[in-house]
Amino acid sequence: MAGKRSGSSKKDSQVTEDSISQDIHAICNVEADEYFMNIKGELSQVDRLVSDAVNNLVINFKYISKLTRAHHDMVIAIERMAATKENRSILELLEKQMAIADKIEQELENAVTSLQFGDLVTQLLAHTTRQVETLNMVLQRIDRRSDWKGKEISLQGIHEGISKAVNVANSKGKRKPVVQQGMQMGEIELF
Amino acid sequence: MAKTILAVDDSASIRQMVSFTLKGAGYEVIEAVDGQDALDKANNHKVNLVLTDINMPRMDGLQLLGSLRKLTSYKTIPILMLTTESGDATKEKGKAAGATGWLVKPFDPKRLLEVIGKVIG
Repeated sequence: MAGKRSGSSKKDSQVTEDSISQDIHAICNVEADEYFMNIKGELSQVDRLVSDAVNNLVINFKYISKLTRAHHDMVIAIERMAATKENRSILELLEKQMAIADKIEQELENAVTSLQFGDLVTQLLAHTTRQVETLNMVLQRIDRRSDWKGKEISLQGIHEGISKAVNVANSKGKRKPVVQQGMQMGEIELF
Repeated sequence: MAKTILAVDDSASIRQMVSFTLKGAGYEVIEAVDGQDALDKANNHKVNLVLTDINMPRMDGLQLLGSLRKLTSYKTIPILMLTTESGDATKEKGKAAGATGWLVKPFDPKRLLEVIGKVIG
């Protein structure tokens, strides 16, 4: 009787150990999932902030460009009026004004190139988010498939699991859509 | 009469930069937010050139290129790809599908206008 009881108590303790182990895994999975969700949330926050910044910059850009055009037109009009009176000093001043207006226009053209950084950042963020999602998915899958029960989880085992997940994520991850390292102008090719 | 360019990009800021550049040079611009939107607009407007991004939702630029080339009225219309992608494989796909040229973002307004001028005169 005592033997039976001891056998059943061993079984009971094994069941309890297994269920505790499963619970721990479930908690770890939930925690890992939450961790990856937080990273995704932060990436999407960065995306929103960049988009807002770019949208505001574009509004400013359009306004400045409108003012520049108006200024340019005004300088031309004054130049015409002054030319009829042959006022040399005013004409010289207007020439300087015109040179400044041209420089502003050139800078606005450069701004068109610079303002495209938002698009590059958005594409890189989308790529990173996809990578993070894939890594999370693969890690969870490997964890579910692995039979950790009764095994002593060695550092080697954990390392192998993580390496496997990273390899799968890398091979499944889509190509990086952005190759430019900075805001240098892109190449042009006509076929 | 001003020539009309269909500018396709899912990024609002890029569409605005492209429009600003093209309108400043005297072109008329029709904007589309993705390939599907562009295809709908291409069917309803007479367009002299299409300038399209590649990575877009619903229909990407390469699918749009393929669909446009199937339309009789777009068989010879220049279609330029304006994209962050510069990989040879993707470029070859575009070339095979009938792209006229490949421009990697970020674009320089002056160079963009030069290329467009060369392509549509």
